[in-house]
Parts: sequence; C-alpha cells; structure tokens
Amino acid sequence: MLRNYIITAIRNLWRNKFFSFINIFGLSIGISCCMLIFLYAKDELSFDHFHEKKHQIYRIVAEIRSPDGKVNKESSTGMAQAPRFEANLPEIEDAVRMELTDFHVRQGSEVIEQSALFVDDRFFSFFSFPLLYGDPKTALQDPHSVVLSEDLALRYFGKTDVLGKTLQLKAGEDFEPFVVSAVVKNLPANSSIKADLFASMKLQEARQGGNLFWMNFYLNTFVTLREGTDLQKTEAAMNRVYNREAAAQISDMAKHYGYNEKVSYHLQPLLKMHLDTDYPTENGVVSGSNPLYSYILMGITGIILLIACINFINLTVARSLKRAKEIGIRKVIGGQRKSLVMQFLGESMILSLFGFVLAIALTCALLPLFNSLSDKALSFSYLLDVRLVLAYIALFLLTSFLAGFYPALVLSAFKPVETLYGKFRFTGKNYLSRGLIVFQFSLTTFLIVATVIVYSQFNYLLGFDLGYEHGRVMRVKTPKMDASQLEVLKNELLKSPSIQTLTAQNGGQWRTIAHVNGDVEQQFDIRGVSGNYFSFFGIPVVMGRNFSAAFPSDSLNSVVVNESFVKAAGWKNPIGETVDFFYENRKCTVIGVIRDYHYSSLLEKVSPQLFSMNPELKYKQVYLKFREGSRPEAIEHARAVVRKLYPAQPYQYDFLDDLIAENYSREAKWKQIISFAAILTIFISCIGLFGLASLSAEKRAKEIGIRKVLGASVSAIMRNTTLDFLLLVLVAACIALPLAWMAGNAWLQNYPYRISLHPFIFVGAALAVVFFALMTVSYQAVKAARSNPVKNLRTE
Amino acid sequence: MITLNHVYKYVNQGGTRVFLLRDINLSIAQGEFISIMGPSGSGKTTLLNVIGMLDEADEGDYLFLDQNVKAMKEKQRSALYKQHIGFVFQAYHLIDELTVYENIETPLLYKNYKSSERSAMVCEMLDKFNMVAKKDLFPHQLSGGQQQLVGIARAIVSKPTLLLADEPTGNLNSAQGQEIMELFKKLNSEGLTIIQVTHSEKNAAYGSRTIHLSDGRIEN
Repeated sequence: MLRNYIITAIRNLWRNKFFSFINIFGLSIGISCCMLIFLYAKDELSFDHFHEKKHQIYRIVAEIRSPDGKVNKESSTGMAQAPRFEANLPEIEDAVRMELTDFHVRQGSEVIEQSALFVDDRFFSFFSFPLLYGDPKTALQDPHSVVLSEDLALRYFGKTDVLGKTLQLKAGEDFEPFVVSAVVKNLPANSSIKADLFASMKLQEARQGGNLFWMNFYLNTFVTLREGTDLQKTEAAMNRVYNREAAAQISDMAKHYGYNEKVSYHLQPLLKMHLDTDYPTENGVVSGSNPLYSYILMGITGIILLIACINFINLTVARSLKRAKEIGIRKVIGGQRKSLVMQFLGESMILSLFGFVLAIALTCALLPLFNSLSDKALSFSYLLDVRLVLAYIALFLLTSFLAGFYPALVLSAFKPVETLYGKFRFTGKNYLSRGLIVFQFSLTTFLIVATVIVYSQFNYLLGFDLGYEHGRVMRVKTPKMDASQLEVLKNELLKSPSIQTLTAQNGGQWRTIAHVNGDVEQQFDIRGVSGNYFSFFGIPVVMGRNFSAAFPSDSLNSVVVNESFVKAAGWKNPIGETVDFFYENRKCTVIGVIRDYHYSSLLEKVSPQLFSMNPELKYKQVYLKFREGSRPEAIEHARAVVRKLYPAQPYQYDFLDDLIAENYSREAKWKQIISFAAILTIFISCIGLFGLASLSAEKRAKEIGIRKVLGASVSAIMRNTTLDFLLLVLVAACIALPLAWMAGNAWLQNYPYRISLHPFIFVGAALAVVFFALMTVSYQAVKAARSNPVKNLRTE
Repeated sequence: MITLNHVYKYVNQGGTRVFLLRDINLSIAQGEFISIMGPSGSGKTTLLNVIGMLDEADEGDYLFLDQNVKAMKEKQRSALYKQHIGFVFQAYHLIDELTVYENIETPLLYKNYKSSERSAMVCEMLDKFNMVAKKDLFPHQLSGGQQQLVGIARAIVSKPTLLLADEPTGNLNSAQGQEIMELFKKLNSEGLTIIQVTHSEKNAAYGSRTIHLSDGRIEN
C-alpha cells in the first residue's frame, strides 16, 4: 500500500513539475529560515556554557543609587573588591579581576597596538580556557609574563610552540621584555570574554602603588562561590564588608567631590551575563546581543514559515481539482476516507522531505549572509548537534502535518458521484484561500512600507548637515604633545602638498560638571582643543570671539561654549560669564559662543559643550584635511612623519566620514534585515497568489470557453480574471497601510532627527504590491484567454 | 439478490421537487444479465449509482443479499460494496499515474490482500485479457478499448458477485464495443451477475432481460 502511495505521489510530483517545484521551493525557504533561527538561538543560549565551573561563577556588579532616586547599574568594580571580599567571605572560593588595556608591541621596526587583558594569575584555573602549552597554575605568576592565543603566536612568531620567547611590550612609558609563559587555544566564538593577549594583574597593581581603591568602576571582577551558597546572604555580607572597609574612602568622596551616591553590590550569574541587558558590557566582556534582535528575527522567520505553510496548503488544494477524479476512483474501488487522508498526508510528507533537503542546502548557502546580518560566526558544524537535529526532525514533522492536514481533509471528502460524473464544483467562495492571500499581501505591503521608511531614515541620517566640515578629514593618533611639540609636528606635516591644514584635540571628550551662576551645577561635554579648531571645521563663532594668541591668558582662563550650553545655563549675555571648575579650584571666563553642531550621532540631541585650551590637557589626536584626490599621499606622508618624530608610536589613522557612518551601523543592519524580509515575503506571496490564480483559471475554464465562443476578446477575458485579484490586493493594502503608518511613526520616535512620512510612500507601496500581483496573475490570465474553448467545453 | 421497493430519489430546486427516480420496484436474481435502457435524463445512471451504493435513495427500501442497505451505517455499506460490487465506467476512469498492473492491483491493496496473493490475482487478470505484454504501460499509452479492458479487469479482479457497467462501450468504436460485450457474455456465463446501462439496442440484446426507464419510472 505504501509503495502504491509513494509511486502515485512521486509520479504526480513529476507530472506537475512546475507546481511541485514552486511548492517545494516555497516550503524550503520557510524551513531554511527556521533552521537559521534555531542556530542563532542555540548560539545565543550557549554562551559561556563551556566553563567547567559555570554554575559557580558570578560577576560582581553594582547598583548606584543617587540621592534623587536615580539608579545606575554598573557591571564593573575597582581593584579592591576582589581581594577584600575573598579575604572576608569564606563562601567565596576564588576571585579574579579582568581589565581591558592596550599594549604597544614592537615587531621588528614596526610598532603596533594590541589590545589585551590584565588578569589575576588564577585566571586560567578559574575559567576553562585550555592551554596548548604551559601550566595554568603558574602561567601568570611572574609580572613580566604574558600568555598568547594560538592566532597571536602565529602572527608574531609564525608558530605556536613559543614558550620562553620574548616580546617587547610597552605598557607604561618604555618598552620592556615580557616572556611568553603559555599559549592558550583560541577562545571559542561563544565566549563573552575575548582576547588574544593576557598579562599579569600584578603589573597593574605595582603601577598603582598597591593602593586598593573601592570607588571607581573600570574592571570586571568574577568570583566562584561554594556550592549551595545562599546568594542573598552573600550579597548582604559583601555590602557589610564594603561599608566597613571603604568607610574612609566613602566619606572622603562625599566631602571633596560631593559624591553622595549609595553603592550596593550584587552577584550576576555567569550564564546570565550574555543575555542580560540590565548591565552594560564593557572592559573585555564582549557585548551581549540585544534580545530584541533575537525576538524580531524569530518573529520574522516564524511568519515566513507560516506563510510558506499557508502557500503549501493553497497550492495543494488548488491542484486538487486535477486529483478529484483519482479520488473518486479510489473511493469506488474500495478506498475509505481514512486511507485517503493517509495518502495525502504521506504526499505532503514526501514533499516536505524534498523541501527539507533543499532547505539544508539553502541554509548552508545562506549562512554567510545570515552571519553578517546577525553579527555571528556560525558554522555548518553547529548544525550537527543532537538537540538541534531533534529540533529539525520535529520541525519537519510539524510542517508536514500542518501543511498537509487541511488539504488531506478537504481532498478525502470528495464524493465519487460528483467527481466522476463531472458534476464536481469546488464549493463555496473559497474564503480560506482568499483570506490567506489578503493576509500575505497585507504583510507584503507592510514590509515594503517599512523598508522604504528605514531606507529613507538611514539616508537622511547619512546626508544630514552636521554643522561642520567633515569631508576629507583624517584623524591620526599621537602620543601626548604640548603646544610646542604640536608646532613641530605641524610643520613637518604641512611640508607635503597633500595636506592642507590641521588642528589638534586632546583625546576624545568626556562628560563633566562645573558650577555656573554661583553654585548651580551644570553638566556638559568638555574638549581640549588647539586654537584653530573651529576654523578648521568651519564652525561659526556667533558671539564673542575665538581663542586667540593675542590674549595669552586664553589658554588658562578662557573657555568657549556652544549655544546649548548658553541655553541650559539660562544666560542672556554669555560673554564674560564664569564657569567654576570647583574641584580643581579654577575659574574660567566665557569668551565666545559657537553655533551648535552635531558632534555625536544624530541619535541624540545636541548637548551643552565646552572647549578649553588648558595646557594640562595634552594633545593626543591631530586632524588633517587632505587635498582632493591626495588621500594615499596624505596617509603615507603622515606615516613617515609620525615614524620620524615618534618612532615608538604605532601609526593609527582613520577617516571622519567613516567614523560618522559607523554611528549608524545598527541602522544599516536594520536596513539589511528588513529588506531581506520584504523580498522574501514578496516572493512567497506571489507564489501563493500564483496558486490561487491557477485554481481560479481552472474553475472558470468552462466559463471562459463559453465567453470566447460568444465573442469575447482576449483582453476582455483578461480584465475579467484579474479584477477579482485586484480587489483582494486592494483590501490587503487598506489593512496594511494604516498599520504601517502607526508602526513607522512609533519607530521614528526613537530618532530626534527624523524624516516626515509622505503619503507618497504609502501610495507607492500599494502600487508596487498591485504591480507584483498583476505580474503574477497576468500569466494565468493570458493563458486562460488564449485557451482553446473546445478543450474546455467538452463534456464526458 | 437485489430488491428495490418503492424507491424514490429527488432534488429540491427552488421550491419544486424534481424526481430523478419515481417509484422504482425491481427484483434481480443472481446470475442475471440486465440491460437498463432509456433516453437521456431518464435516470439510468442514477439508478445504477443507487444499486451500486454510490448514492442513496431518498425513499423506499433497498435490499442487497437480503440486507437493508438504507438502514446501514456508512462503514457497513462501504464494506458491503467493496466486497461484492465492481464498477465499470464509460470514461474508464483509470488512475493516470499508475501502470496497467498497478491500476489492477489497487483495489486488492485496499482489501489488504497479501503481496503474493495480489501478484497471483493480477497476473491471472492480465493473462485472461491478453494484456501481459502491456502491464507496465500507462493508460495514456493504450487505446480506448484496451483502457476499458483494464477498467473491467480492475472491476473484477477481486471476484465481486455483481458487476455494474455504465455505458461501457460509449467511447468505443463498434469493433472494440463488440469485443467488450462478448467478454461480458462470457463473464456472465461463468456466474457473474451483470447490470449494464446502455443506449444501444444491439448491446442490450446481449442481456437476459431489459428494463426501460423513462422520466425516472420503469416502463413496461
């Protein structure tokens, strides 16, 4: 019996090659999406599970409560917590600290920058990062030892067996020799901790003179707890220790810096670290992904699978007219409804099997694209996991059943008397199929609108006038320079015609406070700049004046602020106002106001900004404007100058335009994801519509034959058949457009600078959807219109 | 073997009732070869369907082998006709995806015969109809007459007690038609009860009795 079913199924598939292919392909797209999302979820959930002590490891995190009730969550601590908590609490078995840092590495004549982690010496016994060479217990005991990853060893020495070799590293002021004491296997992809170079925390401790400070937050502290420890009791004990041992530092901070925040410590389980969005990820811990992404990706693939199954149902039922006769025959020669249900379920399983196999191939092909969309490095071998394989089998069975059950029920109900004697008519107005088409096209319309909105907003952000000139600007990192060293560098750099002008800045910017209007606290972003900063970037001074060499006191006592600062401080006449850096005992005067410009991403509104030429702030970056078309020359010339003047400085440069675009990397990702989803949905919806159109054409074959005989033209018949579907698609558009408008509006609220939604977007999307539908349906319409009426009007 | 008492069948169109079968009283004994004749729309096919249990009478009794068919449940009824009745259609109605062999085999599969039994029974049929050389061909590769032979083979392979034929020669030319009718005669002489619906007087003559239908009523 089984053989009979299989033969019938396969020969049927073969006879309707085109339909079968569309069906299988559509299904495989849905299954493939699901497979990819299983991979993704598996990866997300597996982070850090490879550590042996995973159930015992916790990270110490802090909650900082300010007097006005605001709570700030920090995932880092200072140096003191690890040793002091371990010493005072018996339930803490071990504690390690981890700090992100940069070394300069001398490689031959080149100096390169290498990021690294300072870790306590028990690091490799604490975490399960197996060593290729070396002993985890002794690896970092010597302060001048380092541990390399396999990849780094290959890069520096060309082989991995490098125990005992020396590296010249500069951590502080000079290059010192460090000995490689171990080589660690490359850290796995699903580890929250990622590094290639490890150095001893003892070095850091020595540099800080052994002073254990509680009150800053810049490194990660991990502890292992004894089995069965009560978390809350331990946290309470930790806070008691903190309040006791840090009492002096706490009151000192309050007295001198007005720091009245209350700090309490908590334990975050290692396994929760990756997916926890409450605590920021930094300092060597790789950023966890936002679960929102996962949910959205899962939602999208779920919907795509649903649509694929719906299409499967539609197409199968559409073809059923051709099978009606066979069903009648089988019932006459002894088949009962149950056997027919089995037969059709079996057919759907065979189809699903083909779809499944194709899906596996598709998944492998799509994996690179998916990796770039999801910021992961999933490989095919990930697929070979018992749980995953079971999940796939479940998916296969579910799909076969879901997609095959309804058609099996419908088809097995056909009455032989009706089908064999040509009295068969597909009963009802086929509400289910039509409803499904409306659903699919609503989704398509929605996604098209969403894509257009995301694209427009993205391009808007990229093309926005930021209020300063950032084209052809190159940024080069330098060691700390004062004003005279800057002059020397400037003269050397300007020797090349490729470089037009330059300016300098002290590092980045940071947020700080000062007193204005007496003792009102004002928050702002501060930058240290050289005199020609504003003219370099084309930022207009709208009130007062710029820094000037004619006023030597400028460098110590003058500051320039932006318009937002003026507004926040409530000044009517900003020139001459005082800004009191009370914690440095320095009062400065405002000499000028610049126009607001967008110095950070457009995702934030412009904040108050202050500029100073304070010589304490040494310059660490220069900006070069290079001539049109001279970019390579500028790069090379700057490299040569930096090498000549600062041979120990690694040459690092980037371009302002690139940095600005990076701000919107998340938006770029959204753009990719949504267009991908839109394309898939369009494709699958058209498949579905194609099925419905062909069903309709078969149903109406006789009617069309009669109309032709009575004299209807091809175009009249085409009009007739397509109008029906146009209506469905228009209904879909009417449903989707308001929803898309609401969703688009809500999303755009995230951006202080955003596009406005033109009606044109929505009309355009509706037109596009109608266009796709027409293209799909027209094939059937033309075929029907050109068919031979004789064939259709024959009666048995 | 078959008794129909006051059988009525009708459809309701709008407010009026249209009768397909009116007061049919009929008795058929085992071994008979009955021909049902009548003009188009006289209800011949409907009557055949009712006898073959593909359709239900609205009023009246139908006794098959002394069992009241109307009172039976769906399952019992289908078991009954599966076991006793074979159907031959004017349009042959073979399954296009299956070969001649597989077409003949299919009813045996539904009756759960063992593989060796099936093989024997099908081969016997192929032999009887001289179709052994064609067993792996598909219906569309055969002529009309050959397809009808396959249809008949399929109908009688499980040795039914009753064969119903709806215009079996309707789509065949005279030579092929004659071949089929000769075959029916032979099967009947071997003990198979046959009821055929036909237009042709010539075909009807092969039967032992003729029943005339007009407007759903038996004429005599």
